[in-house]
Amino acid sequence: MKKLLVTLLSVAMVLAMTACGSGSGSGDGGSSEDPIKIGFFAPVSAPAASADGTSSLNSAKLAVELCNANGGINGRQVELVDFDDKLDTKEAANIAENLASDDSIAAVVSGSYSGPTKVAAPIFQDAGKLMVSAYAVHPDVVNAGDLIFSQSFPQKLQGAAAAYYATNELKAKKVAIISVDLDFGSAQVEGFKEELKKINSPIEIVYEQAIAISDNDMSSPVTAAAAAGADLIYSVNYYEQAAQVLREVGQKKLDIPVLGCEGADSFELLNIAGEYADGLYITTNMNRDDENEQTQEYIKNYVEKYDIQPDMVGASVYDAFQVVFSALEECGEDTAAMQKYIAGLENFNTVTGELIRYNDDGSAVKPVQIQLVTDGEYHYAGVIDDPEIIDPANY
Amino acid sequence: MSFTHEVYMFEQQFMNALAIGSVYALTALGATLIYGIMGILDIANAGAYLVGAYLGWYIYHATGNIALAFIGSTIAVGAIGVVLQKTIYSPILAKQNTLSIIPLVAAVGLFTMSSDVIRLICGPYSRSYNFKTSVDSIQVGPIVLIPAWILIFVLTALCLLVLWFLLNRTKLGLAWRATANDAEIAKVCGVDTNKSMALSYILGYGFAAIAGIMVGILYNSITPALGEVPSYKMLAIIVLGGLGNPVGTVIAGLLIGFVEVFVSAYTNLPIPKDAIAFVVLIIMLLIKPEGLMGQKNKM
Repeated sequence: MKKLLVTLLSVAMVLAMTACGSGSGSGDGGSSEDPIKIGFFAPVSAPAASADGTSSLNSAKLAVELCNANGGINGRQVELVDFDDKLDTKEAANIAENLASDDSIAAVVSGSYSGPTKVAAPIFQDAGKLMVSAYAVHPDVVNAGDLIFSQSFPQKLQGAAAAYYATNELKAKKVAIISVDLDFGSAQVEGFKEELKKINSPIEIVYEQAIAISDNDMSSPVTAAAAAGADLIYSVNYYEQAAQVLREVGQKKLDIPVLGCEGADSFELLNIAGEYADGLYITTNMNRDDENEQTQEYIKNYVEKYDIQPDMVGASVYDAFQVVFSALEECGEDTAAMQKYIAGLENFNTVTGELIRYNDDGSAVKPVQIQLVTDGEYHYAGVIDDPEIIDPANY
Repeated sequence: MSFTHEVYMFEQQFMNALAIGSVYALTALGATLIYGIMGILDIANAGAYLVGAYLGWYIYHATGNIALAFIGSTIAVGAIGVVLQKTIYSPILAKQNTLSIIPLVAAVGLFTMSSDVIRLICGPYSRSYNFKTSVDSIQVGPIVLIPAWILIFVLTALCLLVLWFLLNRTKLGLAWRATANDAEIAKVCGVDTNKSMALSYILGYGFAAIAGIMVGILYNSITPALGEVPSYKMLAIIVLGGLGNPVGTVIAGLLIGFVEVFVSAYTNLPIPKDAIAFVVLIIMLLIKPEGLMGQKNKM
């Protein structure tokens, strides 16, 4: 009896340890020269973030693999040094210390959320290590210093783009805002409201509710939104909650269009919401119909390797790597040179659209894509490239 | 069929609340049955909820038969419950001088393990039941019902009926109630307390599995994190209902469902919905510490 218990506990412990992520190096070390090492971290094992974390890691591995298949960087193979931050800021700090003090690491990409990334950023800045944040866009990330760059637009900006689109294209008049009760949600809502004022929008906000991330029941907010007479629901949620909003509206035949954000940009949303996803608009930074060869190659390769559609999170990570690869190719492992190079990039072609430039604080200036779900797939529906709106410096 | 022009806010929210409350009631019922007999707050019940939802998904996708999914998953998870009871909980409780926190720690450990095991075996991405019904919704007077709700109401009522019958009309139930009331005296009177404990776990984990599948159908999404919120919310509910009292738990579950929905629908209080259960609990503990239907001496 005791033996059984001990065995069970041992198995449990082993499982727990393997779940604790890997400091593994992936990628080919085939050439006789030392590989170029790029650090990476993502929330792979945290139950709440695991889907995004896995998406990030998958894209990171794909980016490195394709780079190596194409001859590496100046003949040297790239090695991915990845960590699982478990969506925990303490863990992120440890990982950052680890990578920052490792002289063999040429640069770092963050594939994690804003929480861990903004803790890691100052550590890298202080240690003189360059870091590109794929999709963590909290201002504290890039404000850590000139060695820190962000690949995607800040949330207030995205909210402003949504306000512009809702007013001018969707012609909404009464908007109900259902948002997630996190920085991700509140920043976009703030941007949305400010832009409405700026452009003198006729939109009236008839209902507003912030929902905790752990709460997936949308029956009561959607009912309240419908009762308030909304003709558009602005769903500032991640895919799980956004899918539930869509299901509520669809099942109860409420006939209210929904405008979501990049949090909904995932095959997960399409799976969960099923037929009810059709008609969803989102602001995001990935255009799946982009005729850009790189974008289509990425999607094709991702689907081939992982058998699922890539999402915005993964695409952002892939782009972050492309920027780092490009910098390494031009400058070698010279951090100061890389910093200058990246800061001076213009019209850089990425999987998530054209990166127009980086601002002085390291935040990316790029157009906001509008995608629409038709027949169960995301497709191009528009783009917001008004320089006023897409410049992060205005927020 | 659309009712954008007329949404009966109160009536519709009432039905929203009833559905959510029923799920809470069923989820917490398992934990209360276990507390009644073992005196343990079994957080691993949320693990049964999670595993039940996933097992049900596999069975449903293999057979296309939702009834089979319910039955198969309930039996399997109930059986796991009995195994855990016999191998982990009872031996811990049998030891003299163990701190009462130890079974609680074991429960937490089991729950944590269950969500990681599910994540490692099934992956982090969500799975959808995609339970198809012939209609999306039915308009009944001023309210719109969805088939998943009808399933929830029927199943919850059925489970409560079965439980009531078992506890009040069978010898096994009599033995259970005796054991729950006072295990020592029951044993002396010749009651097989082991059977009662096994029954608690079969029912307790079985109900959790049913609740898990219902939630999976209702939201069309199950992930390894499915048990996170129930793991602590059900504690609030069973304490609110009076630890170990099934009727109290059901009332508490429904009450929490209603408070959550109506507070979120009619107010803009900055309290997250999930915290409401605890606010209600604290208020109750200040007024009546033994819970809605608890007895004073059981604390």
